[in-house]
Amino acid sequence: MVTAELLADCRRGDRQAFEELVRLTHRRVYSLAYRLTGDRTEAEDVAQEAYLRMFRGLAGFREEARFETWMHRIVTNCAISMLKRRGRFGDVLAEEPADVPVPDSTAPRLADRDALSRAMATLPEGQRVVLLMKDVYDLSCREIGEEVGIEEGAVKVRLHRARKRLKELLDDTHEQAGQV
Amino acid sequence: MTRTSRRVRCEDVRELLPEYAEPGPRPAGPLEVHLASCVGCRAELEQYRSLLSSLAAYREVEVAVPDGYLNGVLHAARIASYRRLVPTRAHLRATSVRVGSAVRRHDRGLRYAAATLGGAAAGATAIAIVWWSIARRAMSGAGAL
Repeated sequence: MVTAELLADCRRGDRQAFEELVRLTHRRVYSLAYRLTGDRTEAEDVAQEAYLRMFRGLAGFREEARFETWMHRIVTNCAISMLKRRGRFGDVLAEEPADVPVPDSTAPRLADRDALSRAMATLPEGQRVVLLMKDVYDLSCREIGEEVGIEEGAVKVRLHRARKRLKELLDDTHEQAGQV
Repeated sequence: MTRTSRRVRCEDVRELLPEYAEPGPRPAGPLEVHLASCVGCRAELEQYRSLLSSLAAYREVEVAVPDGYLNGVLHAARIASYRRLVPTRAHLRATSVRVGSAVRRHDRGLRYAAATLGGAAAGATAIAIVWWSIARRAMSGAGAL
């Protein structure tokens, strides 16, 4: 767990403290980066860039209670920059799907999680990113709007559609499982 | 068939449930009245709440990290910390600007100091030349005897 003391040590420029911070958070950072980019190599690049930004930004960071949100925002920002550079940001801005991402075959294969993971992967990119940031990583609609570059109202509309669609997909999955 | 409860239709209520399922206090209103009397809408609300709980828990599900990922990130962090110790061109430029402005602020004092030092140096040089020429003359006079 990232403590206020560890963050204070990081702010003082303690290199070992920052390495400890990396050890504690690297899985979380990589998971979010991978879920946003859908690509392992890109996720590694995003994570590395995110840590460099965190390293530079920690000196001015004072809200210890919001560290996770701050970290998630940085990762999201780096992932969106990466998607823009690769010309794939249009998929996030466009609400309708350009293509359906392939679910990660190495993800945990627990029954409910697997169904949830597969259902999320079939959502349109613009809805999936918003759902991921709000309902999984707990960013506010305002923060998501700032990161993605859309109005807060548009974020809420996408979130509404994403939740409805996800529920329908999971209902279908349960029905099919019940018929087997 | 559309069921109604106190003039609120199930379709209208269910359209609001994706947001309504979020945790937090809700003011009592027609929607609550409908939910209290409609088993179907209440069941749907519970499904949305369950979905939101599953999504929040999904954060704890971590994707397997590739081999060497942690070392790569740590390596990048070390490079970043070294870079911070070595002054960059921007740091040097900022320092020169600071020194320049300090010199301008103390301009008059510095000029007095420079004039004093210059005068002292010129005086010392003149004394040394006179002393040297006297000593040289005395030595050449002794050699002639």
